Amino acid sequence: MITYVQAILLGLLQGVAELFPISSLGHTVLIPALLRWSIDRSSDAFVSFLVLTHMATALVLVGFFWRDWVQICLGLLRSLREREIRADDTYAKLGWLLIVSTIPAGIIGLLFEESLQAIFSAASVVAGALVLNGIVLLAIETLRGRSVEGGPHDDRKLAALSFTRAVLIGIAQCLALIPGFSRTGLTMAGGLASGLSHENAGRYSFLLATPIILAAAVLKVPDLFANGGQGVGEALAGAACAAVSAYLSVRFLVRYFETRSTRPFAIYCMIAGVAAFILVSLGL
Amino acid sequence: MSRPLVVVSLILGIVLGIVAVIYLIEPASGLPSFFPGHDAAGTAIHHSKHAIGAGILALALFAFAWFQSKPRKAT
Repeated sequence: MITYVQAILLGLLQGVAELFPISSLGHTVLIPALLRWSIDRSSDAFVSFLVLTHMATALVLVGFFWRDWVQICLGLLRSLREREIRADDTYAKLGWLLIVSTIPAGIIGLLFEESLQAIFSAASVVAGALVLNGIVLLAIETLRGRSVEGGPHDDRKLAALSFTRAVLIGIAQCLALIPGFSRTGLTMAGGLASGLSHENAGRYSFLLATPIILAAAVLKVPDLFANGGQGVGEALAGAACAAVSAYLSVRFLVRYFETRSTRPFAIYCMIAGVAAFILVSLGL
Repeated sequence: MSRPLVVVSLILGIVLGIVAVIYLIEPASGLPSFFPGHDAAGTAIHHSKHAIGAGILALALFAFAWFQSKPRKAT
């Protein structure tokens, strides 16, 4: 069972942690463990909660970037009609880059998501992964140094990414199937390592997250109906909270990355991971 | 146009499309033993996620073949 209070708090957390580079999956494992909430993650009620909160987050992302998605879909259709991805067709190229980046995580996620999450579900392991997530972000920021110029978001710079880079970003995204690693964090790290500015890397990461989160939610919809709607009330409350916090998060982050880096999130992940590891190990 | 690449992509795309259909219509127990997800114990689970994975790869290969097979303009 999941209570309304738990659903609301976890929904708010889901909306924030899904989009901030701090791992939503990791937090939804760690927070209940730390608060001693005995939530059965395989229960029908929790499955309903997961489906609806992810659906809410994905719909917020689609709504926030709807103009971009219209352009991208038109670009994809244009390229199929012309049987060519023209270098000057920014949105056609961007659309195919997003598809190429989605394929690795899509395939690995479809085939191994459940086994990966079962293997890495222990709270202490998740805490360790959270620390590693922070280390990756900090390492990329440090290695990148000042060699890459910043600047406002520019879809032409996104479209200038090579397909090889897009595959590498997609492979980085696969790591996020392990609870504790952040999808936003790893795809941003991949974008930053490819020479994108923080704003462009963040934008690519949010666009890339949308189909994966939406597909993951849609695939689980049959589970929602299979369990006879158990826990749907609590899940709807959680989803509404997730939608609000996801909207505020994406709005904040798009502005934040115009001028700032992922360093604070990296440090947060390392501190939170170490603290969670100690607390879980000591059984506090 | 790279003809061998187009042919290989089309063949692989068709094979993966067939694999996707098999995953959709056969339960885990009815899958060929070399398929990931095969379960001889006789469960009635359908691996729809595997089907979607194979289907996505098939579509990606068809798209690749579509772009690669565009006739080049004579210069």
